[in-house]
Amino acid sequence: MLKLLNLEWQKQRKHRIFHVLIGMYVLLLPTTILPVKSIPELPPPINSPDALFQFPTVFTYIGYAGNWLSFFFLGFFAVLLATQEYSYRTMRQNIITGLSRNELFKSKISFLITLCLGATLYYFLVCLFYGFTHTDNYYLSTITKNIDYIPRYFLMCLGYSSFGFLIGLLIRRTGIALFLYLAYVMFIELILRWLIHMKIFANKSMHFYPMNAIEDLAPVPFAEVAETFRDENGFGFFLTPTEAMIASSIYIVLFIFFAQRLMLKRDL
Amino acid sequence: MSVLRIDQLTKNYGAIRAVDHLSLTVEAGNIYGILGPNGSGKTTTLGMILGITHPDSGSFSWFDSPDPHSARRRIGALLETPNFYPYLNAVDNLKIVAAIKGRGEEAIEEHLRLVRLHERRHSKFKTYSLGMKQRLAIAGALVGDPDVLIFDEPTNGLDPEGIAEVRETLMKIAARGKTVIMASHILDEVEKICSHVAIIKRGKLLATGTVGAILSNNVTVEIGAADIQALKRLIQEEEELHFVSESGDRLILDAEAGFSAERINEVAFKQGIILTHLSVKQRSLESEFLEITRQN
Repeated sequence: MLKLLNLEWQKQRKHRIFHVLIGMYVLLLPTTILPVKSIPELPPPINSPDALFQFPTVFTYIGYAGNWLSFFFLGFFAVLLATQEYSYRTMRQNIITGLSRNELFKSKISFLITLCLGATLYYFLVCLFYGFTHTDNYYLSTITKNIDYIPRYFLMCLGYSSFGFLIGLLIRRTGIALFLYLAYVMFIELILRWLIHMKIFANKSMHFYPMNAIEDLAPVPFAEVAETFRDENGFGFFLTPTEAMIASSIYIVLFIFFAQRLMLKRDL
Repeated sequence: MSVLRIDQLTKNYGAIRAVDHLSLTVEAGNIYGILGPNGSGKTTTLGMILGITHPDSGSFSWFDSPDPHSARRRIGALLETPNFYPYLNAVDNLKIVAAIKGRGEEAIEEHLRLVRLHERRHSKFKTYSLGMKQRLAIAGALVGDPDVLIFDEPTNGLDPEGIAEVRETLMKIAARGKTVIMASHILDEVEKICSHVAIIKRGKLLATGTVGAILSNNVTVEIGAADIQALKRLIQEEEELHFVSESGDRLILDAEAGFSAERINEVAFKQGIILTHLSVKQRSLESEFLEITRQN
């Protein structure tokens, strides 16, 4: 397995797009929320901009920033991880050279999982850094209060990237695949929800759509918004963390399963 | 030991049958040419035996082994276009090939020297000319010192100089005692390089054997004289010469191997016929190929 992971690393380590996308993620994760510092006071419930940088809420704010960043940069990279092997015809060449289709699949997926683990570790380190430098008094319990954000964050990264990878394999053409990935996450799922239920938000079914479930792993950190919604509609605006984790895990398994089927069955 | 055994291999693309119950055997040490016009199913056949196309029916085995993946690591192949990561240089691309084959990277420099890319080994693949790309693909096929090499139209799209270079490299490889399987629509190429040949058309095997056996031993004799009618009468009396056709002031004849040009010249001279032209040509694969494909 390590050999297969290393094979993908050999393909990517000098790849400029890989450097750019991962570099953007690394650069933007700690910096996107910095401009908030210049605002003296924020409306309730946040009040002080320091809440964004302090334990335990730092996990939710950086987590939400990471939600967007992993959707863009990790997801894009996952799409390219699939489509470029088609456009360069190197997937075909890898098989001819002696890789089995399943080995090629394992090589790609293990690389994506490793990348998501790395992205999560980086997120954890950024949170710790801001937390320790901005929180005056903290106990172990303040730090660990939102610690469930760590596995949630990992599932979120893997959710976006396994979905992007599947889209890439399905479409094979980089441009169209990237567009479809973006469009699905940003509005096709909403349109589907409306077409099927004639409602976008005010229907409990919205939770069970894949990208919604994955988004809810690190949702918008304004709990009060969700509370008002619950009072009006009788069900929560976001999935509970456990619900989101279970739903996302099921989707991830499905995405990876279909990706494997495609790679094993298709003529190259 | 047979290197490759193909049994009743069939592949359909919709209503079109690209490969039709094809069976053939390649023995160790053969330089095996698969000869056929464009679209005759050569690449589809190679695609199936290399694991990238799923056959509809039939089977194949490499080295009499049931495991095709580990077998492919003993094969070096260049199928259609050279496929490499454009953003990596020659050395890094070949390192990936070595990693897949589970072989060391020591010989990479030597392979690059063989295909004369050593000086450009640190340039990215995308900066290469078509000929250089093709040569890198040949170097790629050599990584891991495979027992069998497969080349699909290795000189396609190259300029005359590139063609000569690639052929020269192929001859060098063949001289090392490797088994080589080469698909080509260029008869001359197969005739010059191969020991064995399979002729296929519309996915069907038409003929197979050594190049010598496919090429009959007969020779073609072209003969000309001022009095062509007298010459014709003379030929009818000669048992070892068979009339094929007449073109202008020349006759095209078929003769057994070992036919003596000296004797016919002598006979004609005694009859008072002065020959203006006399040539004896080995039958080419081209004429045999046209003959075989026309019959089917």
